[in-house]
Amino acid sequence: MPLDPSGPGLAGPAWMLAVVFLPLAGALLCFLLPRLAAPVGLVAAALTAASTLALTLAVMADGTARTQLGGWAAPLGILWRADGLSVALLAMTAAVGVTVSLYATAYFRNDEHERTFFWPLWLLLWTALNALFVSADLFNLYVTLELLGFAAASLTALGGSAAALTGAIRYLLVSVLGSLSYLLGVALIYHGCGTVDLALVAACVPDAPRPAMQVAAGAMIAGLLLKTALFPFHFWLPPAHGSAPAPVSAVLSALVVKASFYLVLRLWVDVLGGGGRWVAELLGVLGAAAVLWGSVLALRQERLKLLIAYSTVAQVGYLFIAFPLAVAGGAVAWTGALYLALAHGLAKAAMFLSAGNLLRFGGHDRIAELDSAVHRLPLTLTAFALAGVSIMGLPPSGGFIGKWLLLEAAFEQERFGLVAVILLGGVLAAAYVFKVVGHAFTPAARERRIRAVPPGMEWSALLLAAAAIVLGLTLPLISPLLQLGPASAASAVTLAAGGGA
Amino acid sequence: MMLRPRTDRQAGPASSARADKGLPPAARALLVLALLAVFAGLVLAVLSLSEPAPGLAAAVDERIDESGVSHPVTAVLLNFRGYDTLLELVVLVLAVMGAWSVGRARGCAGNVPGPLLRQLPRLMAPLMVLVAGYLLWVGAHAPGGAFQAGSLLGGVGILLCLSGYPLPGWANGPALRVSAVLGVAVFAALGVVAALLPGGAPLDWPPAQAKTLILTIELAAMLSIGVVLAALFAGGRP
Repeated sequence: MPLDPSGPGLAGPAWMLAVVFLPLAGALLCFLLPRLAAPVGLVAAALTAASTLALTLAVMADGTARTQLGGWAAPLGILWRADGLSVALLAMTAAVGVTVSLYATAYFRNDEHERTFFWPLWLLLWTALNALFVSADLFNLYVTLELLGFAAASLTALGGSAAALTGAIRYLLVSVLGSLSYLLGVALIYHGCGTVDLALVAACVPDAPRPAMQVAAGAMIAGLLLKTALFPFHFWLPPAHGSAPAPVSAVLSALVVKASFYLVLRLWVDVLGGGGRWVAELLGVLGAAAVLWGSVLALRQERLKLLIAYSTVAQVGYLFIAFPLAVAGGAVAWTGALYLALAHGLAKAAMFLSAGNLLRFGGHDRIAELDSAVHRLPLTLTAFALAGVSIMGLPPSGGFIGKWLLLEAAFEQERFGLVAVILLGGVLAAAYVFKVVGHAFTPAARERRIRAVPPGMEWSALLLAAAAIVLGLTLPLISPLLQLGPASAASAVTLAAGGGA
Repeated sequence: MMLRPRTDRQAGPASSARADKGLPPAARALLVLALLAVFAGLVLAVLSLSEPAPGLAAAVDERIDESGVSHPVTAVLLNFRGYDTLLELVVLVLAVMGAWSVGRARGCAGNVPGPLLRQLPRLMAPLMVLVAGYLLWVGAHAPGGAFQAGSLLGGVGILLCLSGYPLPGWANGPALRVSAVLGVAVFAALGVVAALLPGGAPLDWPPAQAKTLILTIELAAMLSIGVVLAALFAGGRP
């Protein structure tokens, strides 16, 4: 049976196969050859990133790529589908993934135990992410969610401290609860529609019995919100992200919460056909609360990694502010939210890697005692500040474009409450970024014991932060991938032309 | 959940430490009420369910001749939705990696068996291995297959561990890792090869070879499942 009778070419399906099976093969090899875990893992990471780039180019050239796994068509078999949204997240995952891999070779150099287990677990996490982004099957998505959750929880525990184990166990329980809630929804949908293929379910939902479908949608979205750490479900995130080793925190904050957000969006737009107005308003209110609550708590933290973790809680909120705006007709809000998701992925990974450098350098991450780090680690502080620019939403960063598009939609609909929240979140972000940078610039009161930081660790952080800034200049290139509604194309292109990008 | 993380001396009132002191009783009661409401809603939803939509059973029956096996469950697990099964096997390997990354195994050598456990494995283990092989073979046309057979093999491992049966040294070395990932490795490798055949797709078994391929995968998967379950019982890296 051909790969895809209706598809434009074979390149897309071949690269989809590569982005799922290369990291899997790498993970197995790393597990089998623990002594060679780092070099084997690095090669697998490079190959995976290269295949992701090739898949992105193939999808940009030929349109959506499709594969029938096992050669079986939709209701019987499982489909892979990579459209613009999929490859945008795959590409962000690859950018963060390959840089974190570079960082990890230096970070784990002196710790054999963490090194031998980081690589297989991290490559399996990458496998799960890629498999999730290309899957077009509700049950298969559940399996990828489980894989993702177990890999993420195991990585969280890697540090081995009591705090890490507590955070990891709580994370595991939350993750399993979220997956089971999602699975309950899948079971109800199969009961009503007799299929788990995304496109077939989307065609069935309008005619299916109402209460059961509403409960199914509610259970699936609630489970995914728990995994995305949307306020008030964020309680598990700071301990887990704050206590993991730096490369793991980067991956958890940048990628893992984005995967469940992607799935919420995929269900909302492609399967449920838009969802209810009041549900969107509820998500918007929770998002706004997350922006304010997360930012205020970030500002109050005295430990750098917890500050960055609470900042993730706030930034996740922005993604959900798009729901009421998009439902009311501003499809540009989707592009804005997705742009923010990509920019946050790059910037937040850069921040956690910088935090890892500061932790390695001074042996602690107490913000008040970061004095004079700027003289010793100029690259790291530059990375942190550049990432901060994107988190605050200052031009010309990717974060700026995302917030600008959200603001545009909010102004158009005269939702001034949301406008205020978006702006206030930016001000609070500026406050917590400058709190860190300010302490880092303060001259040291006394000599402290310090450790050298390998240059690879500094450069990886800087590379990701620079990518978050450059993302803001590539709007014309990326926005065609992020079209989730008919209206967003025109607006995003206008902005690109007007902004001179 | 009962573990308390070390609290930093400078940790503010809003830091993560607070969550571990437990919720106030009022919040706890509210939480219970909310959970009861959710549960009641779910019960109502299930009671309101109409007749189930016709599932995929008819579609499976229609195409089962091309799957290489005649038992519908095996056909779905190893052919129609084989990719799900592959990822489930990855979850099992991941579980071992996760358990090994957290700590060392207690070890089975220290177990001192009672009179029953000293004799039982000698009788049971060979029989269980035989039944596992039977279950694997019968899975092609009747209930059975790699997961059931693998669980039995895992049971053999647990029995041997409880009885303090000394494993040869090589069994804890690379051989353990190889046999734990064998199922995934064979499954994935064959799946990729199937995609490289002219006109093939990932995990697309040509009908003529399907039975052989499925049996090969199940054999490897059975071994891995058994090893993974026994390794998880041991509880950590060797």
